[in-house]
Amino acid sequence: MLSIQHISKVFGPVKALNDISFDVPQGQILGLIGQNGAGKSTTFHSILNFIHYEGQIQWQGHAITATDFDQIGYLPEERSLMTKLTIEQQILYLARLKGQSAKIIRPQIDDWLARFAVKGTRRSKIKDLSKGNQQKVQLICTLIHHPQLLILDEPFSGLDPVNADLLKQAILTAKQAGAAIIFSSHDMENVTALCDQLVMLRKGNIVLHGTLEDVRNQFGKTELYVTTDWTSERLATLPHVTQVTSRHANHYLLHLDDANAGPAIFDALTQGHYIEEFSQQPPTLDEIFRLKVGEDQ
Amino acid sequence: MKKTWIVTLETYLRQIKSWSFFFMVISPFLMIALTVGISYVSADSAASSKQIAVISDSATLRQSYLKQHATGVNRKITQPTQAKKAMRENHLAGYLTLSTTTDRVRADYHGNNSLSSGTQAQVQNFLSQYQQAQNYQDAKLTAKQQRLLARTPVFKQHIATKAGTTNLTRTISFWILITMIYIILITYSSITAQEIASEKGTKIMEIIFSSTTATSYFVGKIAGIMLVILTQIGIYLLGGWAGYSIAVNNAALKPLLADNQALINGVIHNLFNINLLFLFLGVVIYTILAAYSGALVAKAEDASKAAQPVVMLSMLAFFAAFPFQNNLDALAVKILSYIPFFSSYFMPMRIINNTANWGEQLISLTILLATIGLFALYVGRQYQRLMLQTDSQNLWQHLLKRLRHQ
Repeated sequence: MLSIQHISKVFGPVKALNDISFDVPQGQILGLIGQNGAGKSTTFHSILNFIHYEGQIQWQGHAITATDFDQIGYLPEERSLMTKLTIEQQILYLARLKGQSAKIIRPQIDDWLARFAVKGTRRSKIKDLSKGNQQKVQLICTLIHHPQLLILDEPFSGLDPVNADLLKQAILTAKQAGAAIIFSSHDMENVTALCDQLVMLRKGNIVLHGTLEDVRNQFGKTELYVTTDWTSERLATLPHVTQVTSRHANHYLLHLDDANAGPAIFDALTQGHYIEEFSQQPPTLDEIFRLKVGEDQ
Repeated sequence: MKKTWIVTLETYLRQIKSWSFFFMVISPFLMIALTVGISYVSADSAASSKQIAVISDSATLRQSYLKQHATGVNRKITQPTQAKKAMRENHLAGYLTLSTTTDRVRADYHGNNSLSSGTQAQVQNFLSQYQQAQNYQDAKLTAKQQRLLARTPVFKQHIATKAGTTNLTRTISFWILITMIYIILITYSSITAQEIASEKGTKIMEIIFSSTTATSYFVGKIAGIMLVILTQIGIYLLGGWAGYSIAVNNAALKPLLADNQALINGVIHNLFNINLLFLFLGVVIYTILAAYSGALVAKAEDASKAAQPVVMLSMLAFFAAFPFQNNLDALAVKILSYIPFFSSYFMPMRIINNTANWGEQLISLTILLATIGLFALYVGRQYQRLMLQTDSQNLWQHLLKRLRHQ
């Protein structure tokens, strides 16, 4: 398990991290979200001992040292490979630095290239690959040694939906293999699809932490999805409705200032008649993100 | 250790597989081959136009001359018409006609320019000998009388060759050694700084530092570059050995080498002793400094800028050695022969000239080794922070900041 306890980091006058604590058990995925500069990469750099910090970070019950490096897979935010090498040379070099034998890794390379649908052969030079394919090779380098702790900084950045699905599948495979996974993303859809728990940072502070369900429920069921022949103007007159958003014909999203107003609105809308849709839910992660960012601004 | 070796091997193979390394290694051989080739072709074409023809009605007289002077004569031309045609086509410098009257031998030279003093002396000498033989024959002298008349006075110069050779050996050894150190340092300072800076620019260091420690990586990197340097030196030594072997078996060069054997042995001895260790350790310490300097830049384009302080320091040591080559007892030489970065130039200078005893050499070597160890440890510890930082500072700015901070 990765355990982060009360870590803080200051860069000059800027407090990049302020008393951050969370755990990532084996076989679980934690999503780290927040605006640019919120402290996501600084958290990763602290875990990897790239920077000095206050507090304690432990992996499997002890501080992370060089002996743990072989169990870690890290994908940095800015993609970078040695462009003069071939795909095979690059993968072998980084895998050997992770303590893997070339004899074991070499036969696996073609399978990994096929799994990520890399356009190129093992003898293709990195510099001759497209940006997307270089990114896939870098992902292979991160995953090929089957790390037990996977740290992915913006892994979906720059990937098209098809390749993003391939990556999602690879992350889930690593999870099934028992890896503790922590990744950052601005794409809330991916976070929602993958994470067992999430942490939202704002200016170095944790503003949200928990399972996706817990986090959403913290905000109450203030979103009401209805399908009705009422007009949006008429819907706006209902009690505790603060905003009406038209989704498409006869489909509306009502924002409530009181989650308990649901039954009264239901009665008013149905008046004993059947309606196609009436669903009261907490806000989506995307909306929560915007809400939290909005609080700051 | 295993990961250090992986880094060493990767650095080494990437460097030696590059075209720049190939051209760097091959260029001195190409230059030598080109110079020798041009000289040969030029000498060959010039030689034919500098030759003379020897023409005579008397085959005996002509053969006598040709027997004595085999070089510089075009033997194919035997007639004046042939000689004149060859002169017009600039294939012949001129022709010599040899003739005998009843009691005198005579030579006439026809050419666009007068004969060189050497050839004139040869011709004069031949004529004198031939005339003398003719005179002896006409005078009907006995063999004893001929021997007595052939007596010549004796003049011999006695030169203290050993002392002269020793001084020349020292001078040649000094220049070869400090030029070798200087060229290797200048070349590899830039390569090292570029190598380090280029990685910093790509940010691949984050991936590498999540796999191995910065110290291990740094040591691997330096070891890789040192292997490249050793490979280059090894190739040059092999090339030198091959060249020497060819020269030894070359009829034209063999006498020259035999005459200078003492000098050659002396130079080889001065190069292949503890001086080679000073050279190698000098390269090590400058390479670490270049790596440190390269780690301070923010992007690869600044690599040449990063190497500048190292190049300047190396140049300072190189040029500082010049004025002292004939004044090795100067206090400055003694002091600088113990100071790392300078000792690789100054201690070999003293060793070549036998002004440093074993104790002094050992002290200098110990100081150099200790400095390399401490410096590598310091840079190794700073390396991760330097490689992951994004601000650009040159070496001096960084050192000043560190000093202020402390």
